[in-house]
Amino acid sequence: MMNENENDLALLIIDTLNLDFDIESAEPTTPLYGEGFGLDSIDILEVALAVSQRYGVKLKSDDKNNVEIFKSLRALSDYIQANKTK
Amino acid sequence: MSVIEVQRPEWLRRKERGSTSVIRLMVGIALGLGRPAARLFLPVICAYFLLFSLDSRRASARYLARALGRASTLLDVFRHYHAFASCVLDRVFFLKNRTGEFDLRIHGEEIMTDILASGSGCILLGAHMGSFEVLRASGRKHPNLRVNMVMYEENAQKVSAVLNAVAPELAKDVISLGRPDSLITIQRCLEDGHFVGMLVDRSLTNERQTVHSFLGAPASFSVNPFRMLSILQKPVVLAIGLYRGGRRYDIHFERFADLGDIPRRLEPEVLHGLIGRYVARLEHYCRIAPYNWFNFYDIWR
Repeated sequence: MMNENENDLALLIIDTLNLDFDIESAEPTTPLYGEGFGLDSIDILEVALAVSQRYGVKLKSDDKNNVEIFKSLRALSDYIQANKTK
Repeated sequence: MSVIEVQRPEWLRRKERGSTSVIRLMVGIALGLGRPAARLFLPVICAYFLLFSLDSRRASARYLARALGRASTLLDVFRHYHAFASCVLDRVFFLKNRTGEFDLRIHGEEIMTDILASGSGCILLGAHMGSFEVLRASGRKHPNLRVNMVMYEENAQKVSAVLNAVAPELAKDVISLGRPDSLITIQRCLEDGHFVGMLVDRSLTNERQTVHSFLGAPASFSVNPFRMLSILQKPVVLAIGLYRGGRRYDIHFERFADLGDIPRRLEPEVLHGLIGRYVARLEHYCRIAPYNWFNFYDIWR
């Protein structure tokens, strides 16, 4: 089950990208990049922009952990919760 | 980030070894003997590929017939290969910053100096045509200009192999697509005022594509690079470096879109129009310099 933060993030992603993706079928472990949400790196930039606007979390380009951060909904949500400024 | 640091799986490395050794040989000949002597090898190399690369030869002949507007001959294909080999060779000299040996003619240079002075960063829209390296070399007289190149993973690896052999300090300027944060990296580079170059004429089979008439027949082009333009919101300049034979290169810069010209929310027809405009410019340059088109596969498939 998704927690509240994960649910909010899933909604933000679906809304930002106009995804035809049923929120009911989203799991916290659903991958973001490639399969799962099916995002490409252009979508990921869109998400990164939306995330920085909503949560004040700036995703860095040279972060070695980026592959980890975008691995799943939960990973991204945890990262946001740990670093958010608003 | 940098693709070079990533250890690649064995099968990828093995597949690449062949082309990397040819590249190293070319680099050795070029730097050891100098350009005039190295160029003597080009006809032999072209003849070899003419004999053993049937698919490329067929693709070249088909393309040339369209670009030249007449049936193409084996001699045309040879000229095509020769132009390609010349650009590959010259690339070594450009990477070594030996531009003094060339006659470089820059058209639209003020576009670049204006953008550079504004410090805004910009996207250079290129193609696999002529030499992109000549563009970068011609910009090197501006000490605060940094040009990053965006490439598909596979190309990035090949190019990195060349760079590591010739100019390792430039290898870090390669941004590889195919990572989740590729676009975030591109955006940061632009924000830092860098120029970011991408060659957007090739389409990948697993990418969204759109069909445009190219030299008289429908061809597929990738949609994604143009979606990027809309998200990145930076000035976009068309940048093509054509090889004109001998020591001469003609470098063309054209304003493709000023800041704010490309809407943040792209309607399908606007996107289609944007790509159409790019394809029309490609056609234009294919007609004035037909032997400079370096996609040796059938793009009209």
